[in-house]
Amino acid sequence: MPELLQFAFSGLTVGAVYALVALGFTLIYNASDVVNFAQGEFVMLGGMITVFLHLAGLPVPVAAFAAILITVLVGLALYAFAIDLARGSGAVQIIIITIGASIFLRGVAQVVFDKRFHALPPWFGSEPIRLGGAAILPQSLVVLTGAALIVALIFLLIDRTILGRAILATATNRLAARLVGIPVRRIVALSFALSAAIGAVAGLLVTPITLTSYDVGTLMALKGFAAAMLGGMGSAPGAIVGGVLLGLAESFGAGLISSKYKDAIAFLIILFTLFVRPQGLFGKKSTERV
Amino acid sequence: MLEISGLSSAYGRIEVLHGIGLVVPASQLVCLIGGNGAGKTTLLRAISGVQPLKSGSIRFDGQDITRLSAEERVKRGIAQVPEGRQIFGSLTVEDNLNLGGWLHGGGTASERDAIYAMFPILGEKRHLAAGGLSGGQQQMLAIGRALMSRPRLLLLDEPSMGLAPVLVEQVFGVIESLRAKGITMLLVEQNAAAALAKADYGYVIETGRITHSGPSAQLIGDPKVREAYLGI
Ligand SMILES: Nc1ncnc2c1ncn2[C@@H]1O[C@H](COP(=O)(O)OP(=O)(O)O)[C@@H](O)[C@H]1O
Ligand SMILES: [Mg+2]
Repeated sequence: MPELLQFAFSGLTVGAVYALVALGFTLIYNASDVVNFAQGEFVMLGGMITVFLHLAGLPVPVAAFAAILITVLVGLALYAFAIDLARGSGAVQIIIITIGASIFLRGVAQVVFDKRFHALPPWFGSEPIRLGGAAILPQSLVVLTGAALIVALIFLLIDRTILGRAILATATNRLAARLVGIPVRRIVALSFALSAAIGAVAGLLVTPITLTSYDVGTLMALKGFAAAMLGGMGSAPGAIVGGVLLGLAESFGAGLISSKYKDAIAFLIILFTLFVRPQGLFGKKSTERV
Repeated sequence: MLEISGLSSAYGRIEVLHGIGLVVPASQLVCLIGGNGAGKTTLLRAISGVQPLKSGSIRFDGQDITRLSAEERVKRGIAQVPEGRQIFGSLTVEDNLNLGGWLHGGGTASERDAIYAMFPILGEKRHLAAGGLSGGQQQMLAIGRALMSRPRLLLLDEPSMGLAPVLVEQVFGVIESLRAKGITMLLVEQNAAAALAKADYGYVIETGRITHSGPSAQLIGDPKVREAYLGI
C-alpha cells in the first residue's frame, strides 16, 4: 500500500510537469496551428539558466526570474525569426522548423553551459514528509502548487479576459479576428511568450528533483506532446488531464513492471491515442479553422 | 468618405482586380453588384487591409490608408461584415460582440444592449455558442459584431446570401435603419434588384473591372444592367 501511494505521488509530480509542457503545446497550437517541438527546450532553459545564474552568485529567486525572462525572449525570437518568417508554408515545414530550432537551442546550450547534470537546492529542504508510509519531497509539493497556480492563471486569462477571448478568436477564425482589429501576429507572439514562460517555470521547479542538463528538452517535448495528444491537441483541460495521466502511467509502470521501459510509455500512449481516439480525450472530432 | 483609385490586386500571380476606381460619399449607401467571381469580396478585403494590393490607393476621410494595417483601419472606423458571416463559432454570442468591440476594450454593456435591442434573439441566446445559431441569426451576429467597433463606414459582403426570403427582408430592414442612423455603407449583393432599390449609387463589377456606375435609378434604367443583373 505505501508503495502505491508513493507511486501516485511521484506520478502526480512528474505529471504536473508534463501537464505544463502540454499546456505550452496547446497554447501555441491554438493560436497558430503550430506544433512547437522546441517546447522541451523552454523547460531545459528554465532549469539550466537558473542553475548557471545561481552558480554565478545570484540568489535562486533572482536567477529563476531572470531565467523566465530570458526564456520568454528566446520564445519570442523563435516566433519572429523562424515561425513568422515562414508564414504561409505548410504545417509540415513549420514543424520541421521547430525541430530545427530545438536542435539549435540544444547545441547552443551545450556550448554556453556544459554537458553535465546540474541540480538546484530544493526550496524547502530535502527532509521528506511522511504520509501514510510514503515519503514525499517538499519540492514535490512546490511543483504541484506551482503547476496548479500556473494552470489557474492561464484559465483565468483565457476565460475571464478579453485578451483571452482574442486568443481563442484568433484560433477559431483568423480572418474574422483581423477584421475586428485583433493584431493576430502579436497574439501568436504572445502565445509563444506564454508557452516559453510556462516551460521555464516547469523546468526550474522540477530541477531540484530530477536534475537538468542541456538535453532534457528532447524527452520533455516527447512527454508533453504525448500528454497533449492524449488529452486532445488544442484542449487546455485535456493537456492537464493528459499530463497527469501520463505521469501516473509512467510512475506505476516503472514501479510495478520495470523502470527500464518508463520512457516508452509516452510512445505507447501516442500510438494508442492515434489508433483508438485520434482526437484525444477532450478533443473535438474536427475543429473549425479557416 | 472612401475613395479608391487604380486598385489592382492578385492571388499569387493571378490578378483578379484591375484598376478599380470607386467612391463612397459620407452618409450614403453605395452598392456593388456583379456575378460570382467578379472580385467583390477581394475588393472589400482590400479595403479592410486583409488583402494585399499590387497597385492603387485607398483614401479614407481624405487620408491615405493604403499602407495601414487591418487593425488601424478598424480603429479609423472601417468595419466589415464578411462573406459567409465568419463568426467565432466556438465562442458565445456575447463574446463575439465583445470581440467586435476589441479596440474599445471589449465594448460596454450599453453598446451590447443596443445590439440586443436591434436583434432580440441574440439577447436571448447571449450565453450560447455562436456556432449553434441559425444562418439568419449568425448574420445578425456578424452585423452586431461589426457595429460594436463603432464604425463610420460599414462594408457588407452579401449579407442576404443563403437566407430565407423573410430573413432577407429583415436584413434589408436593418440596413435601412443603419442608414437612418447616418452610417455610411458599401453593400455587396447578388440580390441586385433589392440592393439597387435601397442604394443611392451603384457600381457594377465584371471580372475585376468596373463596367457601369451611376445613381441607382439610372442603373435600374440601364438596359444592359437590367438584362445582366436584374433579369428583366
Ligand atoms: N483565396 C483565393 N485564392 C485564389 N484565388 C481566389 C481566392 N479567392 C478568390 N479568388 C479568385 O479571385 C476572383 C475573385 O473572387 P471574389 O473576390 O471572391 O469574387 P466575388 O466575391 O465577386 O464572387 C475569382 O476568380 C476567384 O476564383
Ligand atoms: Mg464574394
